[in-house]
Amino acid sequence: MSHEVMGYNAAMGLALVEEMRRDESIFILGQGVATGGWFGAEKGLSDEFGTDRVIDCGISEAFEAGLAAGASIAGMKPVVNMGFGDFALIAGDEIYHKLAKWRYMHGLDVPMTAVIIFPIGTMGGAGPEHSSCTEVLGMHFPGLKVVVPSTAEDAKGLMKAALREPNPVLFHSVQGLGWSRGDVPLDPEFIVPIGKAAIRRSGETLTIITYGSMTPRSLEAAERLAGEGIDCEVIDLRSLVPLDWDMVLASVGRTHRAMVVHEAFKTAGPGAEIAAQIQERIFFDLEAPVMRLGARDFPLAQQVDLEALAIPSVDEIAAMARALAQA
Amino acid sequence: MSSLSPDMLETMFYRMALARSIERLLIRHTRDHKFSGWWHPGEGQEAAPIGATAAMSNDDYLWYQGRGCAWALGKGMKPGPILGDLLGKMSGATRGKGGGVPHWADYSIGVMGEGATLGSVYPLAGGSALASKIRKDGRVSLANFGDGTSARGTFHETMVHAAAWKLPLIYFCENNGLLVGTRLGDVSPTTDIADFAAGYHIPGIIVDGQDAVAVYEATRVAVARARAGEGPTLIEAKVVRRRGHYAGDPQNYRSESEFDDYRDPVDVLAAQLAGNAATRLLEEAEADVTAAYKEAMAAPSPDASVIERDLYHVA
Repeated sequence: MSHEVMGYNAAMGLALVEEMRRDESIFILGQGVATGGWFGAEKGLSDEFGTDRVIDCGISEAFEAGLAAGASIAGMKPVVNMGFGDFALIAGDEIYHKLAKWRYMHGLDVPMTAVIIFPIGTMGGAGPEHSSCTEVLGMHFPGLKVVVPSTAEDAKGLMKAALREPNPVLFHSVQGLGWSRGDVPLDPEFIVPIGKAAIRRSGETLTIITYGSMTPRSLEAAERLAGEGIDCEVIDLRSLVPLDWDMVLASVGRTHRAMVVHEAFKTAGPGAEIAAQIQERIFFDLEAPVMRLGARDFPLAQQVDLEALAIPSVDEIAAMARALAQA
Repeated sequence: MSSLSPDMLETMFYRMALARSIERLLIRHTRDHKFSGWWHPGEGQEAAPIGATAAMSNDDYLWYQGRGCAWALGKGMKPGPILGDLLGKMSGATRGKGGGVPHWADYSIGVMGEGATLGSVYPLAGGSALASKIRKDGRVSLANFGDGTSARGTFHETMVHAAAWKLPLIYFCENNGLLVGTRLGDVSPTTDIADFAAGYHIPGIIVDGQDAVAVYEATRVAVARARAGEGPTLIEAKVVRRRGHYAGDPQNYRSESEFDDYRDPVDVLAAQLAGNAATRLLEEAEADVTAAYKEAMAAPSPDASVIERDLYHVA
């Protein structure tokens, strides 16, 4: 089956189109989705599927997430584009109580498909309330699955997996990668399974565990370090829940050195959990402390130069890897 | 005169009698067993749920709030899974996870469950109503809530959209005038929740919530309107909370004179039944609840494996 080079958001949109053709119970809802979506992923959906299945809402994030919960409990497969990951906090009850806990607290072992799209991270001046990386919340509250694609191919494959998943999925699209392009399989059965990480670069000196926007930066840092004789393995987690511990622990067991890189805040970010589990589970395989690199613990500035300084750069990733290799 | 047949009236009364019997049993159980459940008594408020559910079809969606047990019984649940749940037994509806705040669900009869963050059912009911609109399945969704949660943001967010989209949705308020101990009038510009309907351009109906038949008639009209694609209705049943906010609440914030005009929903409905049907059904309900209680007491308690149940579904 053929491939096509396309943008990350367009690949997500292609997955939606393919699955909506395949499954009439899928519908999409959000602010401006019928007119093409804020970032273009929903472009053309309302032309093909009509406004019964491509539904515009007012400014009402709690309602949108709650609606998704109710519709999925009633057997539909809703997709909500929340516009920004920051808005998870407006819809906290609906996402982290209702979507996550409804079946559990009612003692029901039944399918419940719902996909909440959270565009996350910096995109150049969106400010402190439209750039947050909120994916750690989905790791903290049991009952949800959590994915963060870093390539156009994964944006398509993970969206398709999410729409066939019998559990609610928080789908974090990376705003900074929205217009990045990549080779995407056109096979309508192409799926990236939830819970499987990918080794983007094999190496022997140390393991960089990353995901989302920091995957391309970590790879760039690794290429730079290769010239210095430092051979980094780069793991793109792709899913945070469930997290591919087998791949992470096998890699670190081999390289004996690990660092976690993400755009989310460092303090109590996903890297805190990952670093803690590595040292809990294979402490005696380690030659050095597990290091973490994340956004500085300040609200993000809207000013673009300050924004760029707050999140890990290729230079900072390379510097930390260099120090870790010598530790 | 009511459109209810004698059979339907008897079914309603039997279900109300089950609810009352369970309420009385829980008072005894709390006293004798130091029951620690977070039970929120519904005694005195049984008419609204029994009347409303009688107007719903088996597969209409019910999203109820957590006071009492009459909503689930009205929709057709049995005392066994309810009592088993309140006592935290494996025989309960949630299979061992219960303990006072109701999370009884049975999707096969449209009992969709309870959101214990009060007032959280608005968008959930909006979601099932939207599902029905997309599927054209003719089902109606009912969101039940207390007057206190009319202050919730999602009350507005949901109805704004539901009214615009003419969703088959009913907002059903049980207005007992109390938010735990706070008076509704101290925190709301009106003590008639139905007033809010005007802003959404939908009917706002006030009904005597102590009279199950009156509630049935009001709900029947709203259900017909929803099924016909004409959109939502807000029904406000004026009810009396006979007991505390929770089991054991001393209610220092109330006076006995509040109950001077109290009409008990069991008496009100009994008077509309023929012959000695009421006495017979009260006895029948009492016997059924007693048997269910014995079974629940004898049922096994959950073991630790129950913690790991129902988190993710495997296809």
